[in-house]
Amino acid sequence: MLRVRGLSLRYPNGKLALSGFDLTVAAGEFVVVLGGNGSGKTTLLRCITRTVKPSAGEIWLGNTDLCALEGEKLRRARLALAMIWQHPSLVRRRCVLSNVASGALGRHFTLRTAFGGLPKSELEAARIHLAEVGLAELAEQRASTLSGGQAQRVAIARALAQQPQVLLADEPVASLDPEAADEIMRLLQRLASDERIAVVCVLHQVELAYAYADRVIGIRDGRMVFDLPPAQVSREAVHRLYLPEAA
Amino acid sequence: MSVDLASPQLGAAGAPAWRRALTIAIRCVLVLLGLAIIVQAFIVVQARPQDLITGVHGMADIIRRAMPPAFAELPSTFWPAVQTVDIALFGTLVGIIIALPLALLAAANMTPSRFAYYAARAVIGFTRAVSDLVWALLFVTAVGLGPFPGGLALGVHSVGMLGRLFAETIEQMDMAPIHALELTGARRIQVFSHGIIPSILPSLLGITLYRLDENIRSSLVLGFVGAGGIGFQLLTAMNLFQYQEVSLLLILIFVIVLGAERISAALRERLS
Repeated sequence: MLRVRGLSLRYPNGKLALSGFDLTVAAGEFVVVLGGNGSGKTTLLRCITRTVKPSAGEIWLGNTDLCALEGEKLRRARLALAMIWQHPSLVRRRCVLSNVASGALGRHFTLRTAFGGLPKSELEAARIHLAEVGLAELAEQRASTLSGGQAQRVAIARALAQQPQVLLADEPVASLDPEAADEIMRLLQRLASDERIAVVCVLHQVELAYAYADRVIGIRDGRMVFDLPPAQVSREAVHRLYLPEAA
Repeated sequence: MSVDLASPQLGAAGAPAWRRALTIAIRCVLVLLGLAIIVQAFIVVQARPQDLITGVHGMADIIRRAMPPAFAELPSTFWPAVQTVDIALFGTLVGIIIALPLALLAAANMTPSRFAYYAARAVIGFTRAVSDLVWALLFVTAVGLGPFPGGLALGVHSVGMLGRLFAETIEQMDMAPIHALELTGARRIQVFSHGIIPSILPSLLGITLYRLDENIRSSLVLGFVGAGGIGFQLLTAMNLFQYQEVSLLLILIFVIVLGAERISAALRERLS
């Protein structure tokens, strides 16, 4: 589903943020990426979404190399890629249902959607996505009234409205309490297994990676250190990811 | 290591004595300079407080002649009053229509290019720097007397005022939901209508209401240069020494300004 080959990114200041990174995630697989601050985890996701252009490498989404695309072709190809962040990034003054349905905007370009309207079919679909994340009863509520965990689930519902093949999550539970964090991880795991979505989730919580991931990837200084099933990842290997550079 | 506080080279706080003396001298010079600026302002405006005392008699005479206000003339003031409010409404609407796209170009987080940014900032700066009264004089010359040049003057000046405040609002907006929408594959106009507008609409409406309130005040004055409305009627009444009508118009102006201010404040409070 998602194949990354030899991905490298060098910033204009000369710093190498990613170096020859290879990654393959199949449909229905739940992959967690672990690594210290500045190790290149978020940069990896930003390269995959093509928010930043990699210096070298290939990003294959099905049969399409995202690195070879620009403009409208890139926008279309990117529809299959959904992303959620640490902060849910909802439009706070809109209702939950509109926020969810706005995930489908990329597929509908009409006069109605150009001026703030949403297709009725997508509003109905948004209710189903909200039910999937367990928030059907909050559809009409304003997004600004939601708790952190609820808002993150709405962000996931918005990602579902996009009908993605790949879901990228950048520290989606970093600002949540343990119970809400577990809920979100369970939800992501279920989306991977039931909806056959390839999920790549950047985390700092090692225990959550052990508990939910199909594979755990360790990253340090922009390089992959390991790519193993959780049962084969030793505590020492994880510990080494977070050691200061001089150690 | 200890400091010798008794040393003649150091003051109580440890600073050399000459430096403290220099600081005091600089402060004295600054105070004298400030006083000199204030005094020259009084001289330049030829301020004569004694004239205020001798002028009391003249003022009392005008007030006596202005009483009672000519309430019988109230029906004839209705139309100019409506014109005054409509000039402000027209000007504010013209201002919004031009200022909103300009503000998008002039907001650092939205502008498509540096050239567009500086060009939009230049237009906003220029329309704001020239006062509405000067714009009214220019438009009276261009399109003749009446409310239309007044509306145009307020419109152009509002472009500057609204453009700047709209751009600042857009720059302070939380960009995370906007980036999120962009990544869903939404087009620019969809991101604008589904993300930007809902996020900043209450602030834009608040700014617009405040501007409308300001424009109603300004439209009263614009009549003095022939741009229609109640100001024009006030000028005519003063030139004809119709002081009772002047006092009626002043009461009407007070009611309009106060009413607009209260309505605008109440609506802005609801929005916030």
